[in-house]
Amino acid sequence: MRRLVTFAVLALAAGSAAAQLPGLRKRQPVPPAPVLVGIDALRADFLAQTGSATVYFGGDASVLTPAARATLTAQAAWLRLHPEVAVRIEGHADPSDTRDHALAVGARRAEEVRNYLVLLGVPAAQLTTLSWGKEKVAVLGSAPEALALNRRAVTILVR
Amino acid sequence: MTARFAPFLLSLGLLAAPAVGQDAAVVAVPPLATPDQSARGQDSPAAIAWQASQLIASDLRTTAELVPVGPNQKDYYSYPEVTAPTFSRWRSQGAKFLLTGFVRANPDGRFTVGCYVYDVAKGRELGRIGFAVAAGDWRRAAHKCSGLAYTAATGAPAGVFDTRIAYVAESGTQADRVKRIAVMDSDGSNQSFVTVGDSIVLTPRLSPDAREVAYVSFVGGQPHIRIVDFDSDQQRPLVPTGGMTFAPRYSPDGQRILFSMQQGPNTDIYVVGAKGGLPQRLTAAPGIDTAPSFAPDASRIVFESDRSGAQQLYVMNADGTGQRRITFGGGWYGEPVWSPDGEWIAFTRRVPGAGMRVGVIKPDGSGEQLLTSGPADEAPDWAPSSRELLFQRAGPDGRPALYRVSLSGGAARRVATPQAGSDPDWSGVID
Repeated sequence: MRRLVTFAVLALAAGSAAAQLPGLRKRQPVPPAPVLVGIDALRADFLAQTGSATVYFGGDASVLTPAARATLTAQAAWLRLHPEVAVRIEGHADPSDTRDHALAVGARRAEEVRNYLVLLGVPAAQLTTLSWGKEKVAVLGSAPEALALNRRAVTILVR
Repeated sequence: MTARFAPFLLSLGLLAAPAVGQDAAVVAVPPLATPDQSARGQDSPAAIAWQASQLIASDLRTTAELVPVGPNQKDYYSYPEVTAPTFSRWRSQGAKFLLTGFVRANPDGRFTVGCYVYDVAKGRELGRIGFAVAAGDWRRAAHKCSGLAYTAATGAPAGVFDTRIAYVAESGTQADRVKRIAVMDSDGSNQSFVTVGDSIVLTPRLSPDAREVAYVSFVGGQPHIRIVDFDSDQQRPLVPTGGMTFAPRYSPDGQRILFSMQQGPNTDIYVVGAKGGLPQRLTAAPGIDTAPSFAPDASRIVFESDRSGAQQLYVMNADGTGQRRITFGGGWYGEPVWSPDGEWIAFTRRVPGAGMRVGVIKPDGSGEQLLTSGPADEAPDWAPSSRELLFQRAGPDGRPALYRVSLSGGAARRVATPQAGSDPDWSGVID
């Protein structure tokens, strides 16, 4: 998150520096700096405002933990203010699950997150879900800590 | 180029290393005879006979029940001896069985391959088999000869060596895998790719005649089952739905396909015609019901469900009635597959403290045995002989490879594939 925010600040700084280059002074009038509303800016703002795009699950569960509910509450608040943004919730299982069950568990986690966001007032039409099963490993390794970081659902701003 | 193929050759070496069971029987495999030994050249009967003999020995070496001896140049026998062997010669080599045969060129350019299997002690013929094949098809005939010897020695169904294996070939980094559906002959030859690697693909399942493969694809977003017909190269989704479908498996007659469909937090098992039609729902319990597999007579289905909390195995009638749990051990059980002879159900079990291991259990829930040591063994599928399992084992680096293990015990053996491999599926006997 921090890295993304830093990047946004750098981009703004670079933009203003470019405006002062000698070659650009001849251009009249100087166009106003464009407001950054691209999907990358929205994502950066989403992360900054909500703290995390990802919630984690325990064991084989798809039950939302208190920490996950807090994160999703912040996500819901942001999404309610941006009804134009399409969102995909991607559910994942850890690599110690079997292939078929992992797909179903990932779907169940994504569904759980979607239902909670809807409960908090996010329009259902704004949200789609997808399961990656155990195909997109976030953290490598078979240690319990690594497995725990793979049991997750990620809220992705699509457009 | 050499370096790139070195691991493949090394794996072949491992595959060839015999993993001999306690009571493996010696089978003599002298070179197949030809009526005219003078004809030489790449496609001569003599050249094909020598290669076919090597392939037969190689086939039999992969089994736990037989130890082939030969082919050796010194063991050539005359053409008449194919059907009238000198048994004392093979008895003195300690052979219990003898495989003889011939390769003959026909006027039409085809070859006749014939094989005979004998009980050496009793001096009695146990079976014979013969084919007229095109020059390029001698391998299939040789596999059938291997099957003849294996059947005579073990009672396993004929033709188990002339089969195909589908699997997922994996390349790229662990965080960014490229996965392609691959198909090969069960001896590792004739590798080909079914998908190009532009989207993630999972769990290929061959139809019983190995003319089609069903698999899960992420193409277009939502994971769903697709079918590829090898003859026409046509592909299509199994069912027209926007939802997630997965865990396909053909019925023993190839006419129907079992699969799972997710709706909201619930996943249930369905059956649909292999050519299409309206899916029929078989389970309705809250929770994840998946990984269905038919019994060989199609009267019952084994599947996994987490309706009790953890994943466990259940057996039900083919219409979904009479659902009954058959596993009660610690940890969980998943991805069951019914053996072709109906006797066993293979599964993956997470054993508390010992990772994931592959085992078998009787359909009534008795006789559970774990066959592999773990800690990352999964995705078992049956050899057509019902005497072995093919499965996926991940190394410490997380890269999976295919292994096979015998029901009669012994260490698991690596199955050579050019790339990392997962989700293996072994076809039935192909006519």
